[in-house]
Order: sequence, then structure tokens, then C-alpha cells
Amino acid sequence: MAAHRLAALAAGPLGAELSGLADSLRRITVHVHTGRWGHGSGVIWWGDGLIVTNAHVAPGAGAQVRLADGRMLDARLVAREPDRDLAALRVITTGLPAAVPGEFDGLRPGELVAALGHPYGVPEALSIGVIHELTRDHGTPAWIRADIRLAPGNSGGPLADVYGRVLGLNTLVAGGLGFAIPAPVVAGFLRRAGLVPPGERAA
Amino acid sequence: MTTSAPGQTSVLAGLSRDLAATAEAVGRSVVAIHARRRIPSSGVVWRSGIVVTASHTLNRDEDISVTLASGRSTTASLAGRDPSTDLAVLRLEDAAVPPVERAEETDLQVGRLVLALGRPGPNLTASLGIVSAVGGEWRTWQGGKVDRFVRLDLSIYDGFSGGPSVEASGRVLGINTSGLARAMALSLPAATVDRVTDQLLSSGRVSRGYLGLAAQPLELPDALRERLGLPGRVGLVIVNLEPAGPAEQGGLLLGDIIVALDGREVGDYSDLLAALGGDRVGKSAVVQVVRAGEQRSVNVVIGERPAKRGR
Repeated sequence: MAAHRLAALAAGPLGAELSGLADSLRRITVHVHTGRWGHGSGVIWWGDGLIVTNAHVAPGAGAQVRLADGRMLDARLVAREPDRDLAALRVITTGLPAAVPGEFDGLRPGELVAALGHPYGVPEALSIGVIHELTRDHGTPAWIRADIRLAPGNSGGPLADVYGRVLGLNTLVAGGLGFAIPAPVVAGFLRRAGLVPPGERAA
Repeated sequence: MTTSAPGQTSVLAGLSRDLAATAEAVGRSVVAIHARRRIPSSGVVWRSGIVVTASHTLNRDEDISVTLASGRSTTASLAGRDPSTDLAVLRLEDAAVPPVERAEETDLQVGRLVLALGRPGPNLTASLGIVSAVGGEWRTWQGGKVDRFVRLDLSIYDGFSGGPSVEASGRVLGINTSGLARAMALSLPAATVDRVTDQLLSSGRVSRGYLGLAAQPLELPDALRERLGLPGRVGLVIVNLEPAGPAEQGGLLLGDIIVALDGREVGDYSDLLAALGGDRVGKSAVVQVVRAGEQRSVNVVIGERPAKRGR
């Protein structure tokens, strides 16, 4: 009996929610191509074409990005902070589905998280895990470490909560743990670069 | 772009919230222990003022401090350690931390969701997995008795050993260790932790019987087995005897093949270890051996295994 109920849960609401989560992450995640072998991911941060990714994913002045709808677009590098391993790219288009950034302060170890990316070039792969540890540097958010299976190609892609809110950008794997740069750190990087969200621009 | 608003009911969100709440609640009883060079190890407040950890993570016996979940530091003294089960017990100066709630033995079921918590520094850490396998009583390679074999299917990160394995409801199944089986995540069940903690608190050590010999398994020739009416196929041939040790004093000789102890068949080394519980120290045992093709009984007074400092 219990097994049937669990199977129904997994096949019903739980499975449906996970695929819904994957769908929503797929729409805001781009596949970043640089050169012949470069694979990485990026997150559509603003609907006006601003994409954030890792600096190591976008080492040059530009890249090609593939959107979830299949379009391949040329992207121009608009900001880069190698120290924090962050870069911002812009594609010429509008009306893109944009990420909803999550907070850092309310997060707790044990919370479920999902990552979408292109590990080893495999397109749009979903991984799930939990938050392992939240670290700060002098009081400001430093890393979200996650107990999740990531690989090269996940870099620059979203680490999200169960609602699809982007908690951070997956950046590196160390000791088996995924390290994500928290969303508030990404926001700070964009501010420092003088980039302003579409709604806040002066007419 | 999100799947649903945070207020909506969702199985996934409910699970996530429950896991985080469990980690947070039990995490209050998970401490960081400073007794090694690189990073602190994890420990669990098992009883009021009593912290249990994995023995192999403590590189020293003195000058140990503990960081509580609140961030406060306090000193701790080592009550004792039992390398054979990889458990160590510390007494805390500060008894204000709530102890964990223990799971029942019936909660040890394959497939249960498990959070492994740790505190290898100021922050709580969590990993998620399941109970992968549950077996009966077993002996570690050092002869320690563990009441149930509990293997976890989860990733081992810094701080894993000495932390609790927590059932999703928040009850603690056992203490984690990666130090007893290579690269395998094991949980030492609550029953074992309780037993070892009792012994370490009362006497500072876990006493174990000792014969003072080294032996190797040997297949017994069929002809010999038939002639002597031996039930087992394997015996243990004595390859080393400690001078003046219990076995030598009792009259055992190099080359004797042990086939039974107190009437119980001995087929491998763990059978011998199983017969050497702490309660046997000082008592006489009848060792059945084959010597020069004949069976003999030798009386040996079981000694106590000398305390070995170390991990």
C-alpha cells in the first residue's frame, strides 16, 4: 500500500513538479559556445538580453549563445570580473524570459536545489541535490556549496530553489561539492559594472 | 520565471522545507571539534554535556576545544576513545546544548531518506542520501562490535565523520564514519553509540579480551577432518605468540591449529574476536587445537587487550 502511494506521488505531483522546474529553468538558461570546444551555461538575468555567466566561460570579447527556443545569437561581452569569475553578455533581442533571483539570507542547509546546464556538452541536463553549506566572507555572501552532481559545462548555469528562483551561478566543483556564486553577488557585480535593469532606466 | 508561488502547496517545496527544518533543528546539537590540524571535525551532543565523535578524527587527546552551534567556544575533555568502533566521547564544560533525539532500531530501513550533518567549522553542513543497506551485528577489522551494519548512499565530504545521520523526521539513526570501511559511508547505530559511550564514561576505555597470538586461516585436510571428526573445513594456525601472553602462558604453541573456542567452531579471525568480548577478561576459556595430528584442549585465561594510544 505504502509503496503504491509513494509511486503515485513520484509519478504524479513530485515528478510533475520536477519536470515543471526543469522546464522553467530551461527557459532562462542559455548554452554558451566559445570556440570549438568551449561549453558553458549562462542565465538570462534581464529580459532585455542581458545574460550572466562565469568569466571563465566567456574569456573573449564575444560568444555565441543558444537559447532554449533554439535560436543561436551573437553575444557581446559587456562586463567581466575575473577575480569573482563573473561576466555579463548582451544579445540583441527583447522579451526574453528572465530569471527571478533568490535571496541568500533565508537559505538553510538541507534545502533542495536544482541545477540546469550543459555538463560535458550534454544539453539541458537537470541535477538535483541539497544545500550543503552557506559561506560568508566578512559577513557578505560568498558561496552556496551544494551536495549536487555537477560537471564542466554547468559553469555559469543556474542553481535554483524548488520554485525555480535562481539562488546562484554554478561556478566550480571542489571536493565533490558544487560551488555557486550567490545571486546578490551577481547583482552587485552588475551594479559595479554600471548595468541597470530595464525598468530602472531613465527615459 | 518560477514554477509556482512560494505560498502554494507543493510536494517538492514541502520536502525541501522539512529537510531544511530538520537540519536546522538537529544542527543545534552538532558541534565542531578542534583536535586536528587542518579543519575541525564534527561531533554530536549525544547526552547532556556529552559529545560523541569519530575517534579517527581526533589527532590529540588533550587541548581540545569545541565550537557550539551558537558560535560560542568551550573546552572539552576526552572521556575516552574506542578505535575498534571508531568512537570517542568528550565531556563538555558547557552542558546547555540540547542532546539529539535518537531513532528506534525499527527506523533502520533501507530506502529511508537520510541527512548527514556536520560542522567542520563555524557552519552547519548537510548532504542528502538514503539508507543503502542494513545488516546484522558485525565486527570491524579492529575487532569492535557494531550492533547493526548500516551503509549510507550519500557523498562523503569534509566533516562527514563524527556527524549524525538523521532521519527526515529529525531523529538520529547513528554517528557517521568513513574510517571503518574504505571510502564507504557507514552509520554507527545508536545502540552501539550508547553502549560504547557508557563504557567510555565509566572506565575511560572499552575493555576487550586478548589472547596474545596471531593466527591465519588454514584449510584442514579431509583425511584429518574425518579422522578427528572435525565439523569445520577451516582452522586458524598460530603463527605468532606474544612472549608471556595469555595464549603462551596457557600452553598454546606455534603451529597449533585452533578449531574451536569454548565448544564454538572457529573458522576465521572474526570468530576468535567475537569470543573475546570485554566480559571475558580474567575468565578461563577452553581452546580446542590440533597439534601433531591429534586434538587437544588447552585452558587459557583470557587477558585484557593492552590500551593502544592512537586513532
